[in-house]
Amino acid sequence: MSVILECRSLTKKFNTTIALSEVNLTLERGRIIGLLGPNGSGKTTLIKIINGLLVPDSGSVHIAGMEPGVESKKIVSYLPEKTYLPDWMKVSDTINFFKDFYEDFDDKKAYDMLGRLNLDPTKSLKSLSKGTKEKVQLVLVMSRRADLYCLDEPIGGVDPAARDYILNTIISNYEENASVIISTHLIADIENVLDDVIFIKDGHLHLHEPVDEIRKKEGKSIDQLFREVFKC
Amino acid sequence: MLKKLIKHELYATARFLIPLYLIMVVLSLANRLLTNFDIFRGPLNTIRILMLVAYVISIVASLAVTFILIILRFYKNLMSEEGYLMFTLPVKTSQLINSKLIVSIFWCLTSILVVISSLLILFATNQNMNIFWQAIDQTLASLKDEFGDQYILFIFELLLMIIANLFLYILLIYGSIAIGHSFTKNKIISSFASYAVINTAMQIIMLIIILFLAYITGIDLEDSSIVPKLLFPTYMIMSFVFNIVLYITTNHIFKRKLNLE
Repeated sequence: MSVILECRSLTKKFNTTIALSEVNLTLERGRIIGLLGPNGSGKTTLIKIINGLLVPDSGSVHIAGMEPGVESKKIVSYLPEKTYLPDWMKVSDTINFFKDFYEDFDDKKAYDMLGRLNLDPTKSLKSLSKGTKEKVQLVLVMSRRADLYCLDEPIGGVDPAARDYILNTIISNYEENASVIISTHLIADIENVLDDVIFIKDGHLHLHEPVDEIRKKEGKSIDQLFREVFKC
Repeated sequence: MLKKLIKHELYATARFLIPLYLIMVVLSLANRLLTNFDIFRGPLNTIRILMLVAYVISIVASLAVTFILIILRFYKNLMSEEGYLMFTLPVKTSQLINSKLIVSIFWCLTSILVVISSLLILFATNQNMNIFWQAIDQTLASLKDEFGDQYILFIFELLLMIIANLFLYILLIYGSIAIGHSFTKNKIISSFASYAVINTAMQIIMLIIILFLAYITGIDLEDSSIVPKLLFPTYMIMSFVFNIVLYITTNHIFKRKLNLE
């Protein structure tokens, strides 16, 4: 199976704090990967580096063989933990925006998903609640036919009912040779959709294994294991 | 992709500026009509004064909003949370800067054109236009007196300098914001500080170079021909250099040192 993401000795410091330290990571296509770790463990830093929003101090990252740049951004669909859409836009404006800039964006799919979530495309983002904005962002990001989806806290702010729908879309939407990285604290909610998990602790890669093997080896759920590994 | 970026930038800015410019033009038309009707005497005259005040306010507001929008769009769209959207688009960082720069210059020039047109709407009568052209003739004549045959060169350089300066001040704002936001803390204060420091440094460098050139060429600083011969060309070359330095700095920060909140 071919590699979608490869990190070699990836290191990033902010002043004196080390956000990522010598991270080596290889992700293959066709997997749903949970990026798990407590607050400040380096999850968002890793995702930002993959998306070219941060430049590592040393080490390298390759997405389908490419360094982060214009070409890699064409095949990576990124959902930041922020509400990043301009407030003055209508939902339909944001769809046009994505359609304009991403060749792989499927606007029919986006309108479909909006309909399923009962979101009115003529509304302006200003008038939407934070959770609803997050839904719109997720719809946009998942309506691309990307090779790699990077979802940073995709379900944190939405209600449990929408959570189920969103997770379903994530599983059913992506194609065989695409991979999804989901960073979250809500492990129990997503545990069942994951193929692999990555535990990240103080900027170090603690574990990267298929979920089934962990369950077999440890005899416990990912949620339980997480609570043990990251016990305060 | 640059075209698409410009399209969206125009769309995002036009929704503020077009209505403002329209109000200005409508007010100048209204004022023009009011001056034609000589029915406003006594208390009714306040209507005319109010309309005129409204017109002046609309000019000031249009220019101020144009200026503020140039800063705000760059800051909000690139350095705040919207930056997560813009910097993950499959475009080069230089294209992001170019789209903002081109649209900013466009609105600067448009705002000036709209103000001039509205003034023409309000004041252009045969008589006034005669006075206007006479004033232009006189200015040209005095320029000829002052600079001899070089007055064409003077005008050409002056226009070039205005354009270069327009770029320079927009890029100075962009550069300051970018530098300020490469700091981990106090990003906005750092932006203002960067602006002040860079601006002062540019003035001092410019002054030193002009004095130095005057010294080695032995040109008399009292001689008015120094303006088109030395002052303007030096100023222009220097602003060209500053423009490039600021552009490269901004692009470098966006590419290598981006640190969105």
